[in-house]
Amino acid sequence: MLSSWTDDDEVPKGEYKFVYPAYFGNRIQQAEDNPATNAGVYLGRRLFYEARLSANNSLSCGSCHMQEKAFTDGQKLSRGVDGTFSDRNAMALVNLLWARKLFWDGRSASLEGQASVPMINPHEMGQSLSASAKKLQETSYYPQLFKQVYGDEQVTGKRIVMALAQFERTLISANSRYDRYLESVENVENVKNIENSKRIDKIKSIERVNNGDNVDKIIKNANLSAEEMRGMLLFNTAPDPEKGIRGANCAHCHGGPKNYLELFHNNGLDLRSKDAGIALLTGQKTDHGRFKVPTLRNIELTAPYMHDGRFNTLEEVIEHYSEHMEQPESLSAFLQHESNIKGGTSLKLRSNEKKELIAFLKTLTDSTFIADPRFSNPFLTAKTSTK
Amino acid sequence: MRKYLFIALIGLFQMAVSPDAASAQALTEPGVKITGEVTAAQTIHAADLKQFKQVTVIRKDRDGKDHTYSGVKLFDLLLKAGVTLGKDLRGENLTKFALIEASDGYQVIFTLAELDSEFTDRAIILADRVDNQLLPVADGPFRIIVQDEKKPARCIKQVTAIKIAFAK
Repeated sequence: MLSSWTDDDEVPKGEYKFVYPAYFGNRIQQAEDNPATNAGVYLGRRLFYEARLSANNSLSCGSCHMQEKAFTDGQKLSRGVDGTFSDRNAMALVNLLWARKLFWDGRSASLEGQASVPMINPHEMGQSLSASAKKLQETSYYPQLFKQVYGDEQVTGKRIVMALAQFERTLISANSRYDRYLESVENVENVKNIENSKRIDKIKSIERVNNGDNVDKIIKNANLSAEEMRGMLLFNTAPDPEKGIRGANCAHCHGGPKNYLELFHNNGLDLRSKDAGIALLTGQKTDHGRFKVPTLRNIELTAPYMHDGRFNTLEEVIEHYSEHMEQPESLSAFLQHESNIKGGTSLKLRSNEKKELIAFLKTLTDSTFIADPRFSNPFLTAKTSTK
Repeated sequence: MRKYLFIALIGLFQMAVSPDAASAQALTEPGVKITGEVTAAQTIHAADLKQFKQVTVIRKDRDGKDHTYSGVKLFDLLLKAGVTLGKDLRGENLTKFALIEASDGYQVIFTLAELDSEFTDRAIILADRVDNQLLPVADGPFRIIVQDEKKPARCIKQVTAIKIAFAK
């Protein structure tokens, strides 16, 4: 066993600099009393993968938020320390720096507030923050690391969640093929104006170009196939059967460069949802079955889908919106009568259109994000014992 | 430490609220919370709108057809909450805005000057009726209607909160 702490363990100093594209915007969320530091992020990463934060030392945050799955776990519901399953599907941890409401029901207003909930839930990690702090305090590794971050060796629950929140804010995914497309300033303007008809004309012209009429600079920048571009057009277009306009209008809730608008909707999964969603918190019948609209960044990697993990594939998700939408009273206004056929209650896409949408969704996959060593489990390659 | 205990207590409360308890959830009356830079924070319910002057605005919705919306001016609601409007809307108060939030998380803002009847005749109302009927469930019970604005994007549906704040 190696020594518990050595001077070779270089804990970085200074303020942590978030790096992200300008088109993501600067409406970022940091707690005023918890600005990110390099040392705090360093500690937070270790705590994220620290199984001692669970009652039987078997689970860490990383158990249900695996990097290779864009920080999900591939399960419908997640098994906790007591062997029972969580109430809802583990959410992807992607671009949380811009998230103002956490969880499927948005109940938590900060990552600091969010981080403690799964830790103390008896059906998840099942351990009080004070017990976690005590365990870490008794190691020879953590007190010295907490000193590097907070100035003294005291391990507290508050300090644990603060460091975790700092690390989670660094999980920025902005290196997909879609980002290559967005990097063209002209195209960014197009995406910002998703309902601008000129933009649709533009994409149509790109589509024609991509079909072989011409090759120009736009295509080189976009680097998306004709199928993917057609999928993007559908994604961004509201259907209007009376005008012959076909679309899937995904962008209404999943639009913008981050593919995340922090909205909460009932998307017609059930006529009467078994899980009341936000209504449990608000007591409003219009919130029944209403859940967070998640980011679509890396959506290819985060199956199964929906709050209860009911859909195993993107094909099943598209089938839901295209063919099987229920019409509960609390169905989002933006999904009512959204259809490519007059009087329809679901999108009614053609089979080729479904494939095009999925082709576009796969351009949101960021292969560097899931392999970035800054986000990986440090204990798998650690030189230092954390005993 | 107090904050930490608070977080833990919130967590315990949240654990107790199991999704399976859906059917047992008591319904509460919808309202619009008015908070922020106000002297009298309050929650407006449907019955409260009757004490204000009733206003109608005719405008197109996404269906492209004209509809008649009824409700009260935001100006009147905010005056009652003690927002710096009218004679007080000057100086640094002109950097204030109203952040409107809907139950689906959608947010829009209006500057106070946009809402002030001494600045503009354009009515911006909190509507509870359309074409003499209560608003549809998915739109109501409260919706902002902006007179004459070309796009309906700020005619925010299912309004739950209005927060007055300074631009920083």
